[in-house]
Amino acid sequence: MQLFVNIIVLSSIYALIACGYVLIYRVSRVLNLAHGELMMLGSYLLLTTASSFSGHPAAAIAAAVVLSLTVGVLVYVFLMRKMTGEMALAAVLTTVALGILLRGLMVLIWSAQQQYPGQALGFSNPAIALPGGGRISTFAALLVLATALTYAALFFFLRFGRWGVRMRAAGQNPLLAAQRGINLHAVYALAWGLSTLTGSIAGMLISLDSGLTNTMVIIGLKAFPAALVGGLDSLAGALVGALIIGAAEVLSIQYIDPLLSDVVPFLILIAMLVVRPWGLFGTREELDRV
Amino acid sequence: MTPPLLSVDKLEVVYNRAITAIQGISLSVQTGQIVAILGTNGAGKSTTLRAISGFLGIDDARVTEGAVTFKGQRIENRPPNEVTRLGIVLVPEREKVFPNLTVAENLAAPFAPSMSNAERREREDLIYHFFPRLADLRTRTGGLLSGGERQMLAVASGLVCKPELLLIDELSLGLAPVVVEDLMQRLLQIRKELGITIVIVEQSAAVALEIADYGYVLENGRVVLDGDRERLTSHGDIQEFYLGQSSGDRRNYRDVKQYRRSRRWYG
Ligand SMILES: Nc1ncnc2c1ncn2[C@@H]1O[C@H](COP(=O)(O)OP(=O)(O)O)[C@@H](O)[C@H]1O
Ligand SMILES: [Mg+2]
Repeated sequence: MQLFVNIIVLSSIYALIACGYVLIYRVSRVLNLAHGELMMLGSYLLLTTASSFSGHPAAAIAAAVVLSLTVGVLVYVFLMRKMTGEMALAAVLTTVALGILLRGLMVLIWSAQQQYPGQALGFSNPAIALPGGGRISTFAALLVLATALTYAALFFFLRFGRWGVRMRAAGQNPLLAAQRGINLHAVYALAWGLSTLTGSIAGMLISLDSGLTNTMVIIGLKAFPAALVGGLDSLAGALVGALIIGAAEVLSIQYIDPLLSDVVPFLILIAMLVVRPWGLFGTREELDRV
Repeated sequence: MTPPLLSVDKLEVVYNRAITAIQGISLSVQTGQIVAILGTNGAGKSTTLRAISGFLGIDDARVTEGAVTFKGQRIENRPPNEVTRLGIVLVPEREKVFPNLTVAENLAAPFAPSMSNAERREREDLIYHFFPRLADLRTRTGGLLSGGERQMLAVASGLVCKPELLLIDELSLGLAPVVVEDLMQRLLQIRKELGITIVIVEQSAAVALEIADYGYVLENGRVVLDGDRERLTSHGDIQEFYLGQSSGDRRNYRDVKQYRRSRRWYG
């Protein structure tokens, strides 16, 4: 039972992060390799708002959420916007550079020490006993819930939302979308904002659950195989991919060797790239365009 | 004479900073007209339409010389969504619908998110008035439509943008003559009821001159002939070369001039 709970929690973490990769890729065909750093930035923003709004945890969380959305939009407006129409490789390299820059800046600003935004906000994190004998910490349970809500909201938004249709149109054929009066920059900025927002929510909940150091970026990196295994342009795929990666990781820690935890996701990634590079649910032709 | 709705003046477009696709094209379109741009493959017809509508960006193409003026405003090298907002909408030659969106979503994508539901419904109803068939196909995915249905959807999704000037690239491409005939009649109806000005690009002069008031013939990126429908349909060179192409070898316009003029291909 505990094993099952661990798989669900880890998969939720990967799924919540992976949807950010998928959103940006699906809408603008850009691989955002700074997503892990942006997620971590979300946690540090929460740490900062927790100390500036001390005594008002709700305000601190709301402020961190708004800030992370803003960060995503700003990254697009000031950096990625210039990349529109450039080669995909140039855009990807830009995100790599951004990630390295952010990582350095975060150590400079917030140091590399283990820190606990949960304490700063005055939250405790009691374990909840589940029927069947498993246990789950409060924030891990909230994370699973947040993942479910985020995916439901994203599915609904992309399917029926007024901006959702425009995002799908822009993802399929940007020039035709622009021709039909859709402002691509607005659509892309929204995708970056939402992606950074969902990533940051993941980062905040992880750091509330287990604290925050600059090694958190590894989790963001491990969510990338989840996105790719499912197919980079498919949200449902990201969910399934996260489940596969999460299960494989938990099971190999349990039955083989805990040291495998950082290796297994990338072994699966490599296997997938060899066998079926467009992912389980991705479209083959979409990959050709990269 | 009233100033033209659109005027293109000595336009030159270069692809990839190297290939000059059109060189010095001038044309003018009056409000309410249907204007045909004719010419064989590679003549520069599509490039001309794309330059007018700002649809060039993705191929790294630019207008390097000349001007495009719409209602007195210079618009060359503007981004396509701005040109659309000004009132010019292009129905491109290829990839003209979103294949993974349904017909209804294809029609809804151009709507501004702030547009009221009443306005959305009004515009949709207008579309279904001109293309009742699309109402039956509302939930069909764009990629699963037949050629004729896809053309209908493409014209319809241009129309929901409420253009003043509609540019249509090779509407007849790959379609059966009855379907083409039907689409052309729809264009006439749209012009009549909405007063929209239309520019059509066609390889077949017979199809285009059936509904066009005025026509331009392009060759190698230049205008080689222009005139109203009567002039073009009775023009010997047009009849020989553009209204029928039975001889297998490719000839160009200048060569044709040397050939005996004959009426036998027209019709
Ligand atoms: N994307 C492109 N890149 C480079 N050259 C192009 C491109 N599109 C068209 N051309 C060139 O421009 C010329 C005109 O093409 P086009 O406007 O498509 O002609 P038409 O529509 O009359 O068949 C052709 O010589 C063609 O090779
Ligand atoms: Mg063409």
